[in-house]
Amino acid sequence: MQDAATPPTSSARSHSSVATRERSSTVGYTSSTIPQPSKPSVTLVPAKSKTPSSGANFHRMRRIIAEDAEWSLAIVPLLTELCIQHIVKNFQKNPILKQLLPEHQQKVLNHLSPDLPLEVTANLIDDESYWRRCCTQRWPVCHVARHDGSWKHMFFERHLENLLKHFIPGTTDPAVILDLLPLCRNYVRRIRVDQFLPPVQLPPPPRTGDQSDSGSEGDMEEPVMDHYQLGDLVAGLSHLEELDLVYGVKDCGMNFEWNLFLFTYRDCHSLAATIKACHTLKIFRLTRSKVDDDKARILIRSLLDHPALEELDLSHNLIGDRGARGAAKLLSHSHLRVLNLANNQVRAPGAQSLAHALAHNTNLISLNLRLNCIEDEGGQALAHALQTNKCLTTLHLGGNELSEPTATLLSQVLAVNTTLTSINLSCNHIGLDGGKQLLEGMSDNKTLLEFDLRLSDVAQESEYLIGQALCANREAARQQALNPSHFMSPITANGPENSAG
Amino acid sequence: MNPPGSLGVLEQNVNEHLSTPIPGPSIHSDNPQERIQARRLRIAARLEARRREALGEYLDGKKESEEDQSKSYKQKEESRLKLAKLLLCGTELVTNIQVAEDIRETHRRVEEEEIKRQRIEKLENEVKTSQDKFDEITAKWEEGKQKRIPQELWEMLKTQQLRCAGLIEDKNKLISELQQELKTKDDQYVKDLKRQSDDICLLLERMEEQVKNVMKTFRQELHHIEKAFEVERQELLTSNKKKWERALQAHNAKELEYLMNRIKKIEDYEKELNKQRIWDCEEYNMIKIKLEQDVQILEQQLQEMKATYQLNQEKLEYNFQVLKKRDEESTVIKSQQKRKINRLHDILNNLRSKYAKQIKQFQEENQSLTLDYKRLVMQFKDLQKAMRHFAFIDGEKFREIWLMNEEEAKDLIGRAFAVDKIIHAQHLGLPWTAPDFWFLKNVGPISQQQQKSAAQIVEEVLMRTEEEAEEATSEPESYLDLPKQVSPRTTKKILMLLCDESGFLIESKLLSLLLPLEKSECYLLRLDAIFSALGIESEDDLYKLVNFFLKFRAHHISPIQVKPLHQANAEQPSVVSDLELEEQLAMEGEEEEGLVEEGEQEEEKESPPSPWLIHPNDVLKILEAFVMGLKKPRDSRAPVRVQKGVRNDSRDSEYWQALTTVVPPAKQNLWDALYTALQKYHLVLTQRAKLLMENEALEQQNTELQMLLQQYLDSKINSQLQVPPTQVFRVPTK
Repeated sequence: MQDAATPPTSSARSHSSVATRERSSTVGYTSSTIPQPSKPSVTLVPAKSKTPSSGANFHRMRRIIAEDAEWSLAIVPLLTELCIQHIVKNFQKNPILKQLLPEHQQKVLNHLSPDLPLEVTANLIDDESYWRRCCTQRWPVCHVARHDGSWKHMFFERHLENLLKHFIPGTTDPAVILDLLPLCRNYVRRIRVDQFLPPVQLPPPPRTGDQSDSGSEGDMEEPVMDHYQLGDLVAGLSHLEELDLVYGVKDCGMNFEWNLFLFTYRDCHSLAATIKACHTLKIFRLTRSKVDDDKARILIRSLLDHPALEELDLSHNLIGDRGARGAAKLLSHSHLRVLNLANNQVRAPGAQSLAHALAHNTNLISLNLRLNCIEDEGGQALAHALQTNKCLTTLHLGGNELSEPTATLLSQVLAVNTTLTSINLSCNHIGLDGGKQLLEGMSDNKTLLEFDLRLSDVAQESEYLIGQALCANREAARQQALNPSHFMSPITANGPENSAG
Repeated sequence: MNPPGSLGVLEQNVNEHLSTPIPGPSIHSDNPQERIQARRLRIAARLEARRREALGEYLDGKKESEEDQSKSYKQKEESRLKLAKLLLCGTELVTNIQVAEDIRETHRRVEEEEIKRQRIEKLENEVKTSQDKFDEITAKWEEGKQKRIPQELWEMLKTQQLRCAGLIEDKNKLISELQQELKTKDDQYVKDLKRQSDDICLLLERMEEQVKNVMKTFRQELHHIEKAFEVERQELLTSNKKKWERALQAHNAKELEYLMNRIKKIEDYEKELNKQRIWDCEEYNMIKIKLEQDVQILEQQLQEMKATYQLNQEKLEYNFQVLKKRDEESTVIKSQQKRKINRLHDILNNLRSKYAKQIKQFQEENQSLTLDYKRLVMQFKDLQKAMRHFAFIDGEKFREIWLMNEEEAKDLIGRAFAVDKIIHAQHLGLPWTAPDFWFLKNVGPISQQQQKSAAQIVEEVLMRTEEEAEEATSEPESYLDLPKQVSPRTTKKILMLLCDESGFLIESKLLSLLLPLEKSECYLLRLDAIFSALGIESEDDLYKLVNFFLKFRAHHISPIQVKPLHQANAEQPSVVSDLELEEQLAMEGEEEEGLVEEGEQEEEKESPPSPWLIHPNDVLKILEAFVMGLKKPRDSRAPVRVQKGVRNDSRDSEYWQALTTVVPPAKQNLWDALYTALQKYHLVLTQRAKLLMENEALEQQNTELQMLLQQYLDSKINSQLQVPPTQVFRVPTK
């Protein structure tokens, strides 16, 4: 809303200023540069309405009238204006910007067309408003906040993402992307690609029929199914921090084929080499790409001892216990802060290995194991790990077939742990007794802010009481955030009261 | 409480607002999931309401504690809580879909697993049965090989065919079943897709609704907060205005009061002024009258004065006449006096010239005399030197001669004693005792005792007096020869007095050191210090002092007598020698001694009534006089000192006389008698000796003659003779 609202106002302002300038340069300048109290609005209104009879600014208007009554209609534009117009017109052939005065630069930028070739503009123009115009012209919805608040970054990142999305190996010229590399290398911080097109197969219709018959033939074809190799591109981007990939096809509709969603071993190896070489990478996401244990292990092995990696997201894949074990190893060999293994096939052994790694980890802040099947064994292992862990703040164990034993252990953890702020146990079979135990554990906890127990067979009463405790904790946290210096004494003063109550 | 109630109502409204437009889950839906969700929502709403109540109570408690918190703050807090709740509810509502989907997925998975397991079981069963069947068929083949009869073979083949067909049919059935399942799954998938799209739609709707709601409530809350602020501001304004007005009113009232006070004061002052004026007028009049009266009196006095003036004038004129006459007389006298003066002047001049001449003469005389005097002094000095020299030499000589003589005398005496001893021992047969005389021990010329120092004397005096006090014995046997009649007690008293009165002569340091000492010691040391200050050194000085004191005391009734004496002492020229003074003092002392003794006696008698010999106040005077007197003799002491060498030879003759009479006359008589007796004895002895001598000579003659005879007898001639003489004689041969 705000984004949409601001451009018209600015343009209106520029229009008005231009109009005044055209009419009377002196008047326009004085009104725009010197902020006289309550006068600019008054001067602008008569200038627009072209009625020189307003009494408030009679003196100034009078001068104009005295010279020529119809003077405002025809005026010879200034030479600088003409020059600027010329520069704008011929910007593509002869880009002159840096040599101009700052005010003139601004004027030129305001009038440049967003359709200019990137070769000209990419490294020359740093002005945000120009790139903003480019973005708004190209995409209807723009979330500049997702791109470090920089319109230029946004433009290049989305441009690159667009190219990658529509790249078809074998048919599209790889130079299309590599040519862009020198232009965008300084401005691309993140790549979010939610589709990689497979190479086009010349006889697609028969192949589909065959494939349903025999899987062996598909295996033979597999090398052909490789997607675009990111290696060269990523090596060229010196500031890349985030890589968000989905090896799949969007909007395939009724043309659905299993083939379209193949993340091949070659893809996997090349991706592993790519992320290993990219030392600036902080966030790596590979979701919905049918990554199984082996591929996950390949990727994770390449990520071991990565210097910068902070977040790893492998959700919505087919990772089993072995992959989870690999992830656990990664936990102790990197500075990983966020690990997301949601909607995989991790079972109790995998969860146990993760818990083992978690017990002595000091980096991990968030762990997401939603929609796995770790069951009580894994849940208990994790709860034990949390008794010694002093770092984890967010834990998501939704939909994991957990039941009362885990809840019992977790309630003990709640009483001890002071770092956890958010736990999600929704869609489990905690049961009534488990809910009561959790409530007990909750009564000793002062740090937890979120505790999701929806659809987990917990009694309404305990859920409600837990909600109240959470509310109190939230209030305390807010107080602490507002005045951290005065917080310590109230907490100590309230401590015994609360425990007594 | 009003705010929480309204809040609750508002929240309910919001809830209704929230629940009504969402076409989402209803309890009467045919989808069980949806029903569950609907119930869940209802529960959530109820919980929410309950929680709100609790929070309201909580807020109440908080409000009571924070009564002074401003309205806007309260409103803000309320809005914040409300909005937080709203957001929480909204997110819960939105995420509910995801959660529901999750649980559906888990259920599906569980079911899927179950179905999968069943399918696998079924397939395995099928495989087993078909394998059995296949085995049967293959076994039959073996059987068929043995069949030779074509009919049988055919039959068997047919049955085999049937069986194979059955097997295939089974398989086909299975396949069709599986395909059926697949199809249903496909349908399911389509349905799932549809449901997913529905869910997404729902999600979107809810999100939009949420956004709308949130925006609306935010606006509302903003509005509320603004309103609260406005109200607060208004209140503040009104209260401030009231305060201001009150202050203004107070100020006005005070101003008025001040004004009134001022007016009152002005009036008071005016009244006072009037009073003052009237009073001043009266006073003025009074003074005027008084002054006029004074003027009259003064005029009267003036008249009187004038009269007296005239009288005086006449008197003065008369006086003037008289004085004039006197003046004339005086001029005559003046001329006479002038003449007289002239005459006297002449005389004076003559006398002056005479005087000058005389002075010159005297000066010359004086010069010559001084020269003479100097020469004489020189000569005197030489003489003195020579005299001293000679005196010394004489002394030496005297001493030598003395020693020589003494030695001689002693020698003689010793011999005499030895003889006496022999006489006593040998002749008289008496034990001899050596006579003991003082002069025998004396060696060298007899010398006078050394003079004691003043301090020693004092010490002695003190000691003695103490002893006296203790023992109360009578006069000391060998008390000093000098304090002739002056008793030690008197001396001590005088000294004590001196000690007490002239403390100023002692150094303060010494005084502090003396404090811890014994009384007598203290006195001694103090006296020592005083004597050293006064210049008293010798015994003589001390006694002089004592005598002086006593003398003073004698004269203290008529101190004028003492004074001229001192004056005379002071005026006496340097010629007055020490001896003279001493003599004088001694004479005076002798004179006084009697008095002192009398005084002493008196004192002893009347000691209780008048303990003071001399009044303490007079001590200083006496001391001063004494020091004045003592100073001069001290100056001229040096030349006189030689005379100290003159020894008194009064005892010399005595000594020598004594030496001569070392042997008493009785003894001499004895000796004389003895002498005559012994002489006789000697004579006898000498005679005897003579006779002995004769006897001896005769014996010798005899022996010689015997020897000659022997010789003759022994000679050879005898032998040669016929008849030796020997035979003739009967001489006994030896």
